[in-house]
Amino acid sequence: MSILALASLAASSAVIALLCLTDPKRRRALGLQAATNNSAHRGLVVCAAILPGLILAVAGDAAAFLLWLGGCAVIGWLITTANSAHRERR
Amino acid sequence: MIALPKQETKLMVAVHGWSGIVLGLLLYAVVLTGTAAVFAEEIGIWSGGHVATQSAFERPIASHVQKLGADTPAEYREAVDLFETGDHDLGMFFHRHEMEAGMPISRGWFYLVGADGAVKERSFGTNEDVFGPRNDNAFSSFLVETHVRLHVPSPYGLILTGVLGLAMLVAAISGLLIHRHLFKDIFTLRRGAKPVLLNRDRHSVAGTWSLPFAFILAFTGSFFSFFGTIGVPIVAMAAFGGDVEALNESVFGNPGTPDARPTPTAGLDRITIDAIRRAGAVPTFAAIENFGRADAKVTTYHPPASGDIAPISLVYNGADGTFDAQKPLIGPRPSVGGTLAAIMSPLHFGNFAGIVSKAIWFGLGFAMCYVTYTGLRLWLVRREAGSRSLDWLDRSLVIVGLGLPLALLGSGVAFLLTMPLETATFWTPAGFMIASAAVIAAGALWRSAASFAQALTALTGVVMLALPILRLLMGGPGWVNALEAGQWVIPTVDLALIVAGGALVRRLRFLEKSDADITPVMQAAE
Repeated sequence: MSILALASLAASSAVIALLCLTDPKRRRALGLQAATNNSAHRGLVVCAAILPGLILAVAGDAAAFLLWLGGCAVIGWLITTANSAHRERR
Repeated sequence: MIALPKQETKLMVAVHGWSGIVLGLLLYAVVLTGTAAVFAEEIGIWSGGHVATQSAFERPIASHVQKLGADTPAEYREAVDLFETGDHDLGMFFHRHEMEAGMPISRGWFYLVGADGAVKERSFGTNEDVFGPRNDNAFSSFLVETHVRLHVPSPYGLILTGVLGLAMLVAAISGLLIHRHLFKDIFTLRRGAKPVLLNRDRHSVAGTWSLPFAFILAFTGSFFSFFGTIGVPIVAMAAFGGDVEALNESVFGNPGTPDARPTPTAGLDRITIDAIRRAGAVPTFAAIENFGRADAKVTTYHPPASGDIAPISLVYNGADGTFDAQKPLIGPRPSVGGTLAAIMSPLHFGNFAGIVSKAIWFGLGFAMCYVTYTGLRLWLVRREAGSRSLDWLDRSLVIVGLGLPLALLGSGVAFLLTMPLETATFWTPAGFMIASAAVIAAGALWRSAASFAQALTALTGVVMLALPILRLLMGGPGWVNALEAGQWVIPTVDLALIVAGGALVRRLRFLEKSDADITPVMQAAE
């Protein structure tokens, strides 16, 4: 169960990192060039981030779903702060 | 995200700000100790130097229970609680149920049986004495007690933490309503921005990511606080003529035809073996009703099965050890209410999938602390911009926000120093009080809140680095001994303290070098 949850979490984390790196408002705030993707493309990426959690929920694995949801919340926050700190120090 | 009319938005902003500022510091204390309490079991193992890994329920226990049951006066054999305490020793509490000042209590004889079968302790008391802090778990028990009731006497402490949970719920809902760009801002942290914008970003980013869990943790926390203090008495009054004991018997007990014939409760070893096989995990607790009678029932409580979040309870016939049924938390048959009540605990404590779920819940708790702290700082910075002097509040925020973790570490130092002297139950809270008094006095006299924050950050890092050394100096087990015994918790906690302490000290050096923003400790997590 934990392995399934961790694999789902890893997949979603990678997509969240991509969303963070290409986030238009974040890039504007940091004075970076806007990413080339449009809002429809971003919508698809958001769906890809949510997909592993949906699969866990449909499979009825409550524990894995909660691990995925909680893990995404913590990792999303860490990715955001880490990217901001990273940009600041460069 | 949710477009409210301007007037309602202003009202919500006021509700959000004032609910935070009035109860924020207390809420921060509850959330911070709750975050630490997620690892209460591991902190207990680490601080108590417990290296045993075999559960007491994996050893034969029936003969000990039989023998000590025979030693116990008959009036205290109404029920028996079996649980692990210390270094996987077996605690047995033979008791009867009584009412004291309108509250149900248990009173009787407590025995502590070691792994070698020797009786280490015999004492008479109530459930408060038996389940209260002990010399070897005083530190973890102190953390849990602070989180649960802030050391305020019952029932007021529970009511206070319940109200704080509701305040957190109000802040989460109002925060959701006032944030117009919830998802647009989820990745935006403007580091070089002005203080108001900087703190707003920090508060809203952490708040948005952890929002679903702010609801879950606040609701389940309030549920636990109000369950026994308000919920049970009201239901007892409405449906049981105020008889709380009758309510407990009907709702949580195992119904059956009474049979008072003396019969030994002899099947315990069969029961523990079967229960471990069925649940896939050792019991966290076992309760015997009607000990020594033909109608004795044994209920074993286990963590959730793999893939599930509801804990498992199994009921056995005490006399012959035969399996009776899997029992819902509430009532004799499965129900939606019973399932909802059963999942409150794993949702709040995050203890449904071992160390992984605990680590995630620790991270969520830390995010809640950060949201509370940055919310208070945002409120402060906004008013400072209006040139109103709020230095006292700024100092209070630093004293509580950064002083509380240091004072908690101070209680850990006091515990490690006094546990070998068997005085840890007194000195652990005393150490916290002494450290708190020192932080408050220093905070009041320090030249500025900002430089005091730096000093606290440095000291917290240094104490974290010192704790593993102090543990070893006071006779705690070394890493080799612990790992040889299969106990990975002790080296892991040591390493976590070293990494966190090192990060705080390093962070401080970075701040000094860059001469940048001097907002403190919580930044170490960013």
